[in-house]
Amino acid sequence: MESIAVGIGLAVGIAGLGVGIGQGLAANGGLQGMARQPEAAKQINNSMLLALVFLELVFLLTFVLGFLLMGKIH
Amino acid sequence: MDLLQLSNHLVASVSEEKEMGWNIFFYSGLTMAIVLVFATMAKKGLTSRVYTYLPTRAAEHLYLFLEGMTVNVIGPQGKKYVPFLLAIWTFIFVGNIMGLLLPATPTADWSLNIAMAIITVVYVQYEGIKQNGLLGHIKHFSGPKLGGAMIVVSGLIFVVEIVSECMKLVSLSLRLYGNIEGGHIVRSSLDSIVAGIPIGGVLLPIKFFTCIIQAFVWSILTCTYLSIATSHGHDDEHEESHSDHGHSALAEPAHA
Repeated sequence: MESIAVGIGLAVGIAGLGVGIGQGLAANGGLQGMARQPEAAKQINNSMLLALVFLELVFLLTFVLGFLLMGKIH
Repeated sequence: MDLLQLSNHLVASVSEEKEMGWNIFFYSGLTMAIVLVFATMAKKGLTSRVYTYLPTRAAEHLYLFLEGMTVNVIGPQGKKYVPFLLAIWTFIFVGNIMGLLLPATPTADWSLNIAMAIITVVYVQYEGIKQNGLLGHIKHFSGPKLGGAMIVVSGLIFVVEIVSECMKLVSLSLRLYGNIEGGHIVRSSLDSIVAGIPIGGVLLPIKFFTCIIQAFVWSILTCTYLSIATSHGHDDEHEESHSDHGHSALAEPAHA
């Protein structure tokens, strides 16, 4: 049972680490593009948000997995 | 089968944790009531040429914001989808905000989210069929036109596209559910550190931000799905120039 708890912590932590780095990279690219070309800012903004959303999904899937596993700890 | 098991797990865990159960009807009904009252109030101010009534002005700004986004993603022909996006936006936003003030949120329950995802995906398919015809819509799934023996590849693309269409349901609903329910769990675990002191209240600003972002994300994803489903395969260039033309004229007032 303890191993499940440790597993949930590790899974959510590592997923948060990876997704944080990934979202930071996406935001970095998007913001630099917007700063260099303000006239294209709206389109870049939309694409950047889409990328962030899809990256976030990875973390949310881990979160739901952790949530499901949490039901196994009694 | 896996999806069914997942849904059973989620429903069981949610009803165990928070005893949502039948309360979902009360909370989603309350959300709908708030949205309807707001819409009725906004409609009452549609009397003069310049709107002075506050709800009408708020609704106008919301409409312009969503219209600008739609025109940006789909092009000027996407304006007819704004009512659906507006309905989805207001419902999700009001439902999310409810979680900041009331003990439970309709959007933190997976069943309502999957229902909204089914409505969204079916609506996108309906619009795609309306735009391209049934055959054209099915042809849409098989990717670009490949001749000869490459028809096997087209078949593979078709299967992958059908699977990804079904995964849209899971991803849309789990995104909203995970964000809202995750915020609740973090808040309640922060609250339980010191008994009697709600430390989780410090999360309220970021939770409010999440509420807006999630409503926006659902509508921009619907927009993207609509633009993929309703685009014509052959006259893309025509649409591209058209949307560029309309963009500067229409998208500007959205942020004015």
